Amino acid sequence: MIKLKFFGLGGQGIVTAAKTLSEAVSIYEEEYAITVPSYGHERRGAPVNTSIIIDSKPVLLNCFVYEPDLVLVSDASFLTREIDIGAGISPNAVLVLNTEEETVARQFKKTFGFREVYYADATGIAVKNIKRGIPNSAMLGILAKTGIVKIESVTSAIKSAFGAKTGGTNADAAKEAYDAAKKI
Amino acid sequence: MAQYKMLDGNGAAVQAVSMADVKVVAAYPITPQSPIAEKLSDMIARKTMDAQFIRVESEHSALSCALGAQLTGIRAATATASVGLALMHEICNAVSGMRIPMVMPVVNRALASPWSLWCDHQDSMAERDSGWLQFYCENVQEIFDLMLMAYKVAEHEKVLLPAMVCFDGFFLSHSMQKVLVPEQEEVREFVGPYQKKNFWLDPADPVFINDLISLEEFTEMKYQMMKGFEAAEKVFADAASEFESRFGRKLQMLEGYRTEDAETILVGMGSMTGTMKHFVNEQRKQGSKVGAVKVTCFRPFPAKQMKALTQNAGRIAVFDRSAGLGTMGGPLFHETLSAVGSHMIIKNYIGGLGGRDVSPATIRRMYEDILSAKTTSNVPVWIDAKEHPMEIREVLRYV
Repeated sequence: MIKLKFFGLGGQGIVTAAKTLSEAVSIYEEEYAITVPSYGHERRGAPVNTSIIIDSKPVLLNCFVYEPDLVLVSDASFLTREIDIGAGISPNAVLVLNTEEETVARQFKKTFGFREVYYADATGIAVKNIKRGIPNSAMLGILAKTGIVKIESVTSAIKSAFGAKTGGTNADAAKEAYDAAKKI
Repeated sequence: MAQYKMLDGNGAAVQAVSMADVKVVAAYPITPQSPIAEKLSDMIARKTMDAQFIRVESEHSALSCALGAQLTGIRAATATASVGLALMHEICNAVSGMRIPMVMPVVNRALASPWSLWCDHQDSMAERDSGWLQFYCENVQEIFDLMLMAYKVAEHEKVLLPAMVCFDGFFLSHSMQKVLVPEQEEVREFVGPYQKKNFWLDPADPVFINDLISLEEFTEMKYQMMKGFEAAEKVFADAASEFESRFGRKLQMLEGYRTEDAETILVGMGSMTGTMKHFVNEQRKQGSKVGAVKVTCFRPFPAKQMKALTQNAGRIAVFDRSAGLGTMGGPLFHETLSAVGSHMIIKNYIGGLGGRDVSPATIRRMYEDILSAKTTSNVPVWIDAKEHPMEIREVLRYV
């Protein structure tokens, strides 16, 4: 069982990213997943999070994730926000981060105590591929680099979830982020 | 052949409605049900669903329109949540009293006040005596499955009662999971064509339905409804075996999970029961003899089955996701206590209100409390309340 927690800002497509990951592992990798979004009073720009649990057998647990094995953060401003994205992380927890700066990745690693950080400029890659700064698909590309899901499963799920109009460019963003992702 | 589809809870309810030959939809959007109303209206507008959508100004009108539509001899649908269901209260009783076997998804959300968008069971619990069957779902697959079961059971000539298929707001309504969806033809064969079996409206042969009834007959018509609930238990069991032979999944009014040799049994409803099962598995690894009972069917309440499942246990902990104010505990506790008697230690736990998460830690607190209980208690434990609840917002500042 792998427990994940995604953090982002309203409008960055974090809930969609979680649903798409759920599809990637459930349909294209024959695993099981649940997503539990933590909805607030929705507004653009406000911090949001969502929980995902993946397992090789049907997932019984149906609650938020409190001890994540993997944390995805789609905005580097979480380094200094009141929300502690490192709360409850397991000792070997991995971070997937939206930043092109190694120094920022190192700051996150040190501040929250992650074992590894995978990072890339998801927003820049999104702007280039989908012409909008919505980093969710690119974030899933970086996530695939950690090895918990295949990049082919991610791009297939993106094409299915986003549909014909934007599926292709979003899948391109994921692939580019996968190729660009670095690890420290 | 059945295929996996990615659906959230609302999507699963829509999938079932759209495959069940529903001809009229009248729905009013309300969080967290809105995607159901939106998706159904979208499908009807795009003609991917052959039905008519009636735009209404409230839930009271939504259920009224669906009632009238179904009386013409077709399946009608609506869906709601929270205060929307409360606004339907009058018509809920009209639908059941007219013996209209309508199936309605209810996305469980707290009732105001205080205002909350999030899950608890107060909305459907407030309708538990409105003459509707009530099913509660553990996961997204169960939403789809119990919707189909609901049509089958509700429309049975011995039952003829409407059914609410209740599922937890956000924890299920917005949780994306893979769902095995059968072929349209397989669903049609299981659900069958709609058959008008009681009253119906025909412009060529007008009748008066739901007129003023004298004291000579009112009691008897309520008695007939009681017999419908009585029959529902066997009808459910028969429908469930047909469902299992067709689709391979077992549905039960009550599911005993590792209860055979359990000394302690946890009782719950809705999405929390998955977490309870997970907790049971973890405890079993350490040798604790604990099991769980998932209540899928709250109306009718399968009291005999509850007694049978729990008879060998020494301790029962009942988790209610509604407050049960002004009495000894929540509705599920009362039903369970009535069913099993008090020869064992049985206690009530209130929690998960207004969207508060029911985590394994919450279940653990309940489990530890019931293990240390000396006697049955008629005072519920508010298991996840904060340490100083009276200090929040100082409601009683003048006391």
